[in-house]
Amino acid sequence: MTAHKYGFLIDASRCIDCRACLVACSAENNVSMKHTRIWIKDTGIVGEFPDLKHYTAPYHCMHCTDPACVSACTVGALQQNEDGIVTYDNDRCIGCRYCMYACPFEVPYFEWDKQFALITKCDFCISRLEEGQAEPACAATCPTDAIQFGSREEMLALARERIKNEPGRYVDHVFGEHENGGTSTFFISPVPFEQLGFPTTERTESSARFNREVTEIGTPIIASAVALGMTGIYLALKPKTGKHAAEKTEHTEEKTAQAQEE
Amino acid sequence: MTQSLSRRDFLKLGGAAAAALAAGSFLPPRAAQAARDAGLLDANGDGYIPSMCEMCVWRCGLIAKVKDGRVVKLDGNPEHPHSKGNLCPRGQAGLMNTYDPDRVLTPLIRVGRRGEGKFRKASWEEALDLTASKMLEIKEKYGAEAMVFSTTHCLTQQQFENIMYAFGSPNYGTQRSLCFNAMITAFLLTYGIEEPARNYENVEFILMVGRNMMEAISTSETSELSHAIDRGAKLVYLDPRYTKTASKAAEWIPIRPGADSAFLLAMINVIVLNDLADCEFVKQYTVGCDGIQDAMRRYTPEWAEKITGVPADTIERIAREYAAAKHCALAHPGWRTSNFVNSFQTERAIATLNALSGNVLIEGGCLSTDVTEEGSGLAKPPQPPYPRMSALRLDGTPWKYPLVPLKLGVFQELRDAIITGEPYQAHGWFISRQNPIQALPDRNKTLEAFAKMDFVATVDIIMNDTAWYSDVVLPEASYLERYDPLLPVDGKAYIRQPVIEPQGEAKSALWIYKQLSERLGIGDYFQYTDEEDYIRQQLKPLGVSLEEVKEKGYAEMPEEEKNGEITFNTPSGKIELYSETLKNAGFSPWPTWEEPPAPAENEFYLLTGKVAQHTQFGTQNNQLLHKYSDEPRLWMNAKIAADRGLADGDWVEVTSKVGRANIRLLATEAIRSDCVYMAPGYGHLSKGLTTAFGLGASDSVLHETYTDPISGGQALSQTFVKVKKTADGPAETPKPLYLGE
Repeated sequence: MTAHKYGFLIDASRCIDCRACLVACSAENNVSMKHTRIWIKDTGIVGEFPDLKHYTAPYHCMHCTDPACVSACTVGALQQNEDGIVTYDNDRCIGCRYCMYACPFEVPYFEWDKQFALITKCDFCISRLEEGQAEPACAATCPTDAIQFGSREEMLALARERIKNEPGRYVDHVFGEHENGGTSTFFISPVPFEQLGFPTTERTESSARFNREVTEIGTPIIASAVALGMTGIYLALKPKTGKHAAEKTEHTEEKTAQAQEE
Repeated sequence: MTQSLSRRDFLKLGGAAAAALAAGSFLPPRAAQAARDAGLLDANGDGYIPSMCEMCVWRCGLIAKVKDGRVVKLDGNPEHPHSKGNLCPRGQAGLMNTYDPDRVLTPLIRVGRRGEGKFRKASWEEALDLTASKMLEIKEKYGAEAMVFSTTHCLTQQQFENIMYAFGSPNYGTQRSLCFNAMITAFLLTYGIEEPARNYENVEFILMVGRNMMEAISTSETSELSHAIDRGAKLVYLDPRYTKTASKAAEWIPIRPGADSAFLLAMINVIVLNDLADCEFVKQYTVGCDGIQDAMRRYTPEWAEKITGVPADTIERIAREYAAAKHCALAHPGWRTSNFVNSFQTERAIATLNALSGNVLIEGGCLSTDVTEEGSGLAKPPQPPYPRMSALRLDGTPWKYPLVPLKLGVFQELRDAIITGEPYQAHGWFISRQNPIQALPDRNKTLEAFAKMDFVATVDIIMNDTAWYSDVVLPEASYLERYDPLLPVDGKAYIRQPVIEPQGEAKSALWIYKQLSERLGIGDYFQYTDEEDYIRQQLKPLGVSLEEVKEKGYAEMPEEEKNGEITFNTPSGKIELYSETLKNAGFSPWPTWEEPPAPAENEFYLLTGKVAQHTQFGTQNNQLLHKYSDEPRLWMNAKIAADRGLADGDWVEVTSKVGRANIRLLATEAIRSDCVYMAPGYGHLSKGLTTAFGLGASDSVLHETYTDPISGGQALSQTFVKVKKTADGPAETPKPLYLGE
């Protein structure tokens, strides 16, 4: 018998792009004004006037069943709980950014502008759940139930049921069911996920296995040293170029501001 | 000492307030003690407190999480019918309104020229004494009517009106004529009620005319609409713009601006000439059943096609679908319906369509006229009758606008009368939580009206543009820091209570108004010792203690007795499709077509409309909302932009008859080729808004003033603009606009 696992179901056909979930996440987790743990994925306005379509969906950490970030983290800052939540401990993080490169979903959000940079990402509002509240902040506040929260099995079953009941409304694809070996966040959508700007991941097996093979060759100490060295090199180079910072900032701004373009 | 309110000074104020709060925390603060007594906070002062949102006027129930004397999170209260556990982005960001570093936390008295932003701190004693003495001086010299009063929908509106009427002035400026006069006047004349309630439970067909429910969010109703669509209800949405609501509609009809009533009249034509209406209902409950066929005969779908640009067969099909859904059809009354001088006719046509579907009285029908009066069942402090007033209202109600209800008024006309001095000159303005400089059309005119004033006092929580141009600023406690009178909704009276201490010197409106009224010699109208006493007096007939209400968040009210008889509060007691009242006032007794003005070649309709992250002009400085807001830009159809050599992101100059603004362009397919759109509430003048200042441009600068002669509504979409490329960039870095000495 496996432990109870949490899950999200996010329905792009219901999302109205109001961003209550984004604000709720920032308030609940005291996320700084420059960073975010949650974005809006957006098709943009598609078509020609007056035959238009527009879909959006909130997007955050997928909480993979076999998370690549956890396997890539050399210091155990990223951990997976029994309930499926992938947590992050900033006291352990050395800022090596391996998780960023390991994540096939482009989720860990690196605080490039900080002297000692850490990451920020969704943790299912674990402290909120521990206080006895029923749902993470984003799911609790969503006025259209575009974000729903429950057990992983329930959410997956609900996703399949909706597609089955309304085949005209959704594409036949539960994003997260097989991607990267399966996740705890499921999406359903009226349009293919590439159109929403989701990363395309063909793999049905997590890249975590590959990461483990790599990290298990060396000792954790060597890995840590390498990581520290990389960070040092990065910090030394950053003020001169600032290129990555600019790229990342642009990238993330794009994420939060994509809808704004439309 | 002269002091300019720079950001740094504001931060200092905030810092001082925080220090004062820290020092005060050794004694149990009042709000915390009260919350502890009600069992809401633990020994450390942490816990959850039920209260009510004020980020818009929907007033969702909320639960505030409090930790170490600070509010750290707001959630929707599942027990409140307006939130049902949800909050919109504005509600979620409410704590940043309270913790805005730009909060005004002490009374301020102007020392520089108006608009220069130079104020000095003052004690409440001094600021209130000054305000009262100036008001009394104006009354002495020119009569009480020379004081203008204005405020916006809020829970202390009645106390505000108490000051105004007890003082003796009829001059009342509310936001209503800028917002929903057309809707309310039309429904009053047709059904005898201001705004019918919508019921989505059984809805199958929803017609929305510019009601952008997915962006102009009313949390529970937005939620109900979304769930209705999920259940398979069909939404037909009329809007020249492809909004987020359009993206959820089964059919989006990009109708020509100002032509809504032609579309709706043609729907009525199809329904009545083909006998598709609910005849039994119409015969029994309406006036006009006999003549409606003749009155509507000329409004054929073919006629409407020429005006609206919508194919006749589309109109006919939609009319038939609407009629087929019978009482499960809903023609939504809308909300901000101040679009064109014919908007009243649009609303009359909507009112008529609902009556024809018979959805009004039937159990499970989609429109309910069974709305109980606000405040019934609660008591209030005793007060003497108001003194008699003989002065004409400056806004022309009712002597120029006979059908505009007094409580609605015509704000834009009031402003114009201040400028012309006709029929008499106003000299002072007392404003509470309203921002006429941003809200009224034609900002330059509004500034001109301010220049005419001997004295302006403003109550607000931040230095909005109107406070910036005031002589005295009285800092109100935010909605998370204060009590307001109880609000009855669906058989329960809900409380807004302080979840944290007021910061700095901020005070509740109940306190400010009482203090001011005592200085004005009208203290008899404010017979309560403090906010808690006010609520205790309200609760008396219910036999419920304040402590119980604080803990639960509401008090149960006794069920209203219904007498079963169906009457409407109209002269005939029926739904008046045909209105003798309108006829007697010299207007068409039937819903009718009135051709509104159209733009010349090379001009565009300037559209306005909400975004989900902001409420009018009051939230742009909220950092959490700013974080997730789009850059405010001018929408223009992508093909038209390309034809004119304009690229997405270009700076353009937008010019109307009355103003000019520079803004970046958004080239998009999501708008008609003859329209441009600007989000409202940007282009602030006040440098006391460090987040919002310098963002976007103000549509109020561009809006021309046009008043619908029947409802008094301002026609906000009747401004036509020219757009051209400019190299100037954000030229609206507002040049200092100093007024007077």
